[in-house]
Amino acid sequence: MKRIWSQCLKELAQFQRDRLTVALAFLLPLISLLILGFAIRLEAKNIPLVVQDLNNTPLSRSYIERIFATNQFTAVLWPGGDPAIHALDHGFAKVVVIIPPDFSRQIKSGRGSDVQVLIDGTDTNNARVIQNSIHTTTTFFLANAGVETTSNPLKPHLRLWFNPGRKESLYIVPGVFGFLLWVFPGILAAMAMVREKEKGNIVQVYASSMTATELLLGKGLAYLFIGLGEALVLMLIGSLIFQLGFAGDPLPLLIGTLLYLGTSVMFGLMIGSRAKDLISTIQAISLIGFMTALLLSGFIYPIKNIPFPLVHLADLVPARYFIQISRDAFVRGTGWLGIWFPMVMIVVLGLLFFWTANRTLQKMQLPD
Amino acid sequence: MLFKSTRRLIPSSFLALVMKEIQQILQNKEIVVLLTIAPILQIMLYGFALNPDINKIDLGIVDYAHGSESRELVSALTENQVFVAKQFSSSQEELGQQVRNGNVTIGLVIPPQFKQQLTQNKSADLQLLVDGVDANTAGIASGYMLRMIQQHGRQLLPNSTPPLVRPVHTFLYNPGLISSWFFVPGVIGISITLVSSLVSALTVIREKDTGTLEQLLMTPAATWEILVAKIVPLFVLLMGTVLLALGVARLVFGVPIKGNFLLLLLLSGLYLFVGIGIGIMLATIAQNQQQVVLTAFFINIPLIQLSGAIAPIDSMPTFFRYLSWLNPLRHFVQILRSILLKGVGLEMLWPHVLALVMFAAVFLSISISQFRKQLT
Repeated sequence: MKRIWSQCLKELAQFQRDRLTVALAFLLPLISLLILGFAIRLEAKNIPLVVQDLNNTPLSRSYIERIFATNQFTAVLWPGGDPAIHALDHGFAKVVVIIPPDFSRQIKSGRGSDVQVLIDGTDTNNARVIQNSIHTTTTFFLANAGVETTSNPLKPHLRLWFNPGRKESLYIVPGVFGFLLWVFPGILAAMAMVREKEKGNIVQVYASSMTATELLLGKGLAYLFIGLGEALVLMLIGSLIFQLGFAGDPLPLLIGTLLYLGTSVMFGLMIGSRAKDLISTIQAISLIGFMTALLLSGFIYPIKNIPFPLVHLADLVPARYFIQISRDAFVRGTGWLGIWFPMVMIVVLGLLFFWTANRTLQKMQLPD
Repeated sequence: MLFKSTRRLIPSSFLALVMKEIQQILQNKEIVVLLTIAPILQIMLYGFALNPDINKIDLGIVDYAHGSESRELVSALTENQVFVAKQFSSSQEELGQQVRNGNVTIGLVIPPQFKQQLTQNKSADLQLLVDGVDANTAGIASGYMLRMIQQHGRQLLPNSTPPLVRPVHTFLYNPGLISSWFFVPGVIGISITLVSSLVSALTVIREKDTGTLEQLLMTPAATWEILVAKIVPLFVLLMGTVLLALGVARLVFGVPIKGNFLLLLLLSGLYLFVGIGIGIMLATIAQNQQQVVLTAFFINIPLIQLSGAIAPIDSMPTFFRYLSWLNPLRHFVQILRSILLKGVGLEMLWPHVLALVMFAAVFLSISISQFRKQLT
């Protein structure tokens, strides 16, 4: 126990001496937090829209007014001579609404009129957003323009829980915590481990009475403290900038963060102990750590949408479990009841990484 | 002078030099992996894992009415698999708990008077409880839900008529709204950027480390000749990666190539110079391999996030939107998507092409001048 502690102190002293690494360890996650937190907005606002009103009557104009009243679209002027579809080709607009010449007449006669809506389908997510929005607007227009005689018998009342304003930052930022607290403590720990190996210090360690387990735990503890510092900075500044608050009991998040950091540090140490040099370490972390935490964690789109064999790989990604805990703490607020399983999974995966790293180090201890 | 140096570059001997260089690069296993397996893995992982589809949304239901009307409503809502009836709860509190825990995404409450209200021609109130944690999914899913309820309601009317204004949607460029068509071109851009910069940085810095660059300097070749002899083999190999990436996009994801394939290759080639420029610049600035790989790793996040490859640029805050103009990847992703999906040509892409030419010129001239400084 004492040896673990002194190994930890030695590691911290070494880390602190390298000013550049210290700066990078805290500055890079912070910069990444700002970029990820501000730049990931899946739903487009101010969608450029071109209207071709071939009818030009009070009725068609009030329909157009209704579309722009949603504040989701901004009007793009398009000269009448040019086919409006070119606006989509050029990327000047994402939607074109074409109102036919007999729009008003057809409606007044009760037959009704088609309205052509051309949507840029490149960004599939926003193509759906646009489609929904035009539909909702049209329904609203019909209900309020006084042209419909019958009213719809079903009246749905929508209640959005947890996030009534549908602020995307509320979804993204707790995920960013999970992503960054996976990548950064992990890579720092991996680099520390592999550097020890590259310099041959590890042989010296083995010559002493220290065991592989003690080395691993000592290093792990040191980087756990560093990760805790990172977590504190990220969550504090992140909460202030993006206006997050605890939705419930903060204790599960606290414990979850501690366990998660332990797992991410152990992952780093495992990679570091297995890789042959620093370059392959960093590449392994960027491929395994970075990509899985970004893509298989439910950080951007729901995990449920990942297709069959890949979705089970996601079960082995600790970031996915922590993001669940973090979203629960900042948005949902169900507490222990909703998140005991992710907690258990983080611990299980952490132990798995520890076991693997430990075995690798022990094998190195006994050559031949 | 000029004559002499051009004569030294007569095709046959230059070709031999390029072939030798290519063989040498390919001897390094790590680089071969970077050129082939890494991009394939990346494209497959991004292409399959990033999926914003609204499909099989879990629907929880409390049916206080217990009649054929409510059953009809439920089957109308779950008909096309967008919503799946996951759970029937006995009370609104229980359903609320399910939504709170995230077990169901949307909870539907059908009131006890549902049947009476419908038969008496009154309007029936339906409660929808939506889990708003995932703002994007919640928005689109509830939009769908409202539309389907309205449609069903209209059919319940005695003299059911279609609505008076009927938006007819046409999705251009991606009529089936296949999400990988959006992400794969973006990831090709990401992948090519990472591979081209990393591979060229590693090959250059390795020579720096081993001191072979100084040896090259002793030969009568001019600096630019050395650089050309370095860049051309890299370019040839990376062009292979581009073809490989496009092949995966076409064969695995069925991404169409609507535009001119030659133009696509030409502009990808242009972009390779940007990547090679970044790589050589990195190699001349960095002290050792470790710094190169680390820097390349940390550049990842801003490069990817501000490129529009994952999240659309239109929805970013103004500052980041302008910042993204300085990201060469943003222009390349736009070019890729436009040629692959929209099938447009240079007449619409020229601003982005111009930007890439500028980036290539800037990065290459910085790296050449750095290179010169270090050689003399």
